[in-house]
Amino acid sequence: MGSFKYTFRDAARLVIRHWGLSLLTVLTSMSVFYLIGASVLLVLNTRHIVNIMEGELTIQAFLAPETSADVVAKKAAALPHVTKIAIITPEIALGRLQVRVEPRMPNVLGFLADDNPLPWSIEVSVDRADGVKGVAEALSVIEGVADVVYAVELAQKLANFSRFAGQFSVVMLLVAITASAVVLFNTIRISVYSKEEEIGIMLMVGATPTFVAMPFVIQGIILGGMGSLGASVLLSLSYNGIMARLKDLLPFLPFLERGMLVAKLGVILVGSGATLSLIASLLAVEAFTRRAMKPL
Amino acid sequence: MDIRFSGVSKIFYPDITALEDVYLEIPKGEFVYLVGPTGSGKTTLLRCITREVAPTRGQITVGSFSLRKISRVDLSIFRRDIGIIFQDFCLLPHLNVFENVAFVLEVLGAPPREVKERTGEILDQVNLWRRRFLYPPQLSGGEQQRVAVARAIVNAPSVLLADEPTGNLDLHTAEEIMQLIISINALGTTVIMATHNQYLVDAYRQRVIGIRSGRIVRDEKRGRYNLDGEL
Repeated sequence: MGSFKYTFRDAARLVIRHWGLSLLTVLTSMSVFYLIGASVLLVLNTRHIVNIMEGELTIQAFLAPETSADVVAKKAAALPHVTKIAIITPEIALGRLQVRVEPRMPNVLGFLADDNPLPWSIEVSVDRADGVKGVAEALSVIEGVADVVYAVELAQKLANFSRFAGQFSVVMLLVAITASAVVLFNTIRISVYSKEEEIGIMLMVGATPTFVAMPFVIQGIILGGMGSLGASVLLSLSYNGIMARLKDLLPFLPFLERGMLVAKLGVILVGSGATLSLIASLLAVEAFTRRAMKPL
Repeated sequence: MDIRFSGVSKIFYPDITALEDVYLEIPKGEFVYLVGPTGSGKTTLLRCITREVAPTRGQITVGSFSLRKISRVDLSIFRRDIGIIFQDFCLLPHLNVFENVAFVLEVLGAPPREVKERTGEILDQVNLWRRRFLYPPQLSGGEQQRVAVARAIVNAPSVLLADEPTGNLDLHTAEEIMQLIISINALGTTVIMATHNQYLVDAYRQRVIGIRSGRIVRDEKRGRYNLDGEL
């Protein structure tokens, strides 16, 4: 109980004694965790958009006359990444064409109703953008497939963007975590050195290294926790505003709604902030006590 | 706790011999003066006991602890039974008298009530109770050293190491501190005191160990500081 009281009192003293440094550390870790949170939200939104667009990506395989659509559909269904296959009869194809063309040119396709020249085709959906090209190539060699049409560029761009977003988020995360860890580590180290004499006396009177480390670890957790908590609140406040602006600019993109997303992310950020602080503080103080206890 | 040095040598890099082939046995409850010129190895010997310095050769045992290979946790446990008084007091300037003494009990995890009671008793013993809210810079040298003594004995250690505890004090104050240390020894605490103070060594006669160039040159049961011009 005495140790518990001492640890927390001393941790509070450390935070207050170096209030300027504490404030800077909280602000820095807040910026870093805001950056982490924002990049996570960016990646989640990107993934969400890409997923939806990938779900809408289809490959059209036009069949040669006298070819059985069922046979080709069965072969296509066996291909990897294929999630759905729809057989498009000439009548369905004509109906779709009419929907697209007639609002601008009424009755222009009326003459086709009796003699529909459109071929049978199958419409293949794939699970991911970077699988489209491979499926299209595999479809083109199936017997009875006359032609394969798909949005090559769009599929490629989506696949590239999805890959980039993933890599970007990992790099951002690593840079931000490293920056935050370094800032916290240095703050704790400055605190440790400011109490060098005190720690020396503590170790001489028999305090264990763990006991010596505890106030610094608590100090780190307070600073890192406050920084990440501040970042979470800021993210929560700014997400709606940013999303509203983005929806105005890009109304066709399906962004994620705030809902519980930001709250969940906040919990993760605070947890990560506290864990990161714990590790950085332990490293900073452990190195010091190890050296201090090493005999000459 | 008995203290035993068996063939202890300490050579600091590159080749400064601080202790050389020291054999020494100090039984529990004894009072020992370490005397010798500056740089003779007195402080190194004391620091070997606290394991701030590790011997290059030889073995040191204090009670049941062999200091040659001791884990960090065991070292902490061991040090709880050793009180140290430094010449320059080593008080924490941002803590008041009470806090400087209570600090030791707090870091050892004593319950708050015990911290309060024990610190009060010790401050009373060293006549500092009325000055408990003052900070070290507000105290005289003698008072600061009394705080250091109080801090060293507050957890009732078995061994008290004093490195020139009267070095910065006038004779009257030095005697006060000396009487305090003698009274602690009378309670059964082993005391090892490194000193240059000839008057105190001769006035309060105890075992005297003379050191020169890292070697023990004399060891007398009830010795004097300076005998026939020798140590």
